[in-house]
Amino acid sequence: MTDERDPKVSQRYRELGSEEPPTALDAEILAASRRAAETRLAPLVPPTGRRRWYFPVAAAAIITLAVAVTVQVERQQPDAESITPPPPSTPESRTDALEAKKDSAPQAELRKAKPAKPPATPQPLSRAADAMRERGSADAQPESRVRSAAEAPARLLGQVAKADSPEAALERIAELRRQGRHDEADKALAEFRRRFPDYRIAAEMLKKVQRP
Amino acid sequence: MEAPDEQLMLAYRDGSAGAFETLYLRHRGRLFRFVLRSVKSRATAEELFQEIWMRVIEARERYVPQARFTTWLYTIAHHRMVDHWRRGGLSLVELDDQDLPGDSPDPARQLEAREALARFAQALEALPVAQREAFLLHEEAGLSIAEIAVATGSNAEAAKSRLRYAVAKLKAAVEDD
Repeated sequence: MTDERDPKVSQRYRELGSEEPPTALDAEILAASRRAAETRLAPLVPPTGRRRWYFPVAAAAIITLAVAVTVQVERQQPDAESITPPPPSTPESRTDALEAKKDSAPQAELRKAKPAKPPATPQPLSRAADAMRERGSADAQPESRVRSAAEAPARLLGQVAKADSPEAALERIAELRRQGRHDEADKALAEFRRRFPDYRIAAEMLKKVQRP
Repeated sequence: MEAPDEQLMLAYRDGSAGAFETLYLRHRGRLFRFVLRSVKSRATAEELFQEIWMRVIEARERYVPQARFTTWLYTIAHHRMVDHWRRGGLSLVELDDQDLPGDSPDPARQLEAREALARFAQALEALPVAQREAFLLHEEAGLSIAEIAVATGSNAEAAKSRLRYAVAKLKAAVEDD
């Protein structure tokens, strides 16, 4: 340290005195320092009186809200076990159902109905998942609805191919006959015979499914 | 071996009231005289002295030993003094209540000594604020030029220049005796 002191100046300065603060002031400052040390972890403005309960109540409210939201979200999610495969239905009802669902999941339904990819077994869980996944993009793809309508016969044909029981398949073929879509009915009947080669078609039903 | 100031301040920051007490007792006299010789009255000096220590207490959570504790303490003191000077103007050093140096029984010599001390006090009072502060920080608080620069927010050249001017003027006052 560079010392710029001058001995005479320093001596004269010392002669000015060595005053000290009064002891009362010492006591005040030290008391303040002790108070600060004791309350160092306390909030700057500790809650008092009526405000004392604000923090616990606010914390409880936040926790309750979080639990409620979590439970609600879990309830709204589809329960995998509760999803059952759609029962075999008449072509009309099946078509209606598909039309009704088009708004919400056109892509998913379109994929399921395509005869080119008939699933070997019903896959209700994956179908439901697909529907949920693609629900968000449904509104952004209006052209898919047009495509879906154009492919309705193919979808019906696909339903025949996918029918769980021979009876249901025959009902759908008969529906195609009633609608005059004989080529499709022929194809569906051929598919039926391929799937159920040993099934004996009742005479009454045979009239309905065969080309008149 | 005594604990360094910085260690004591850190201990106080962590909740040790005893550490602060040691620190306070170590610095109270010098800081008080630094303040007293910068203001008009003892009452004002006591008020400022207390405020400076309160600021130290309040700032304990933010204390990081980047420099000597003394430098940090007198930086706080400098800021408080600047506030005071801005509000109330410059100060005088009162000598009326001071004990006279020496114990000469000769009344004539006693009077001479009193006058010499008064002249020195006047010379100290007449110094520009920055020069007087530099002198007090060096002479009373024991700060180096670099530390004076830090405490007063200036640079080493300015601090050195102020101190030299102050010492030169005070030396002239002493040599006039």
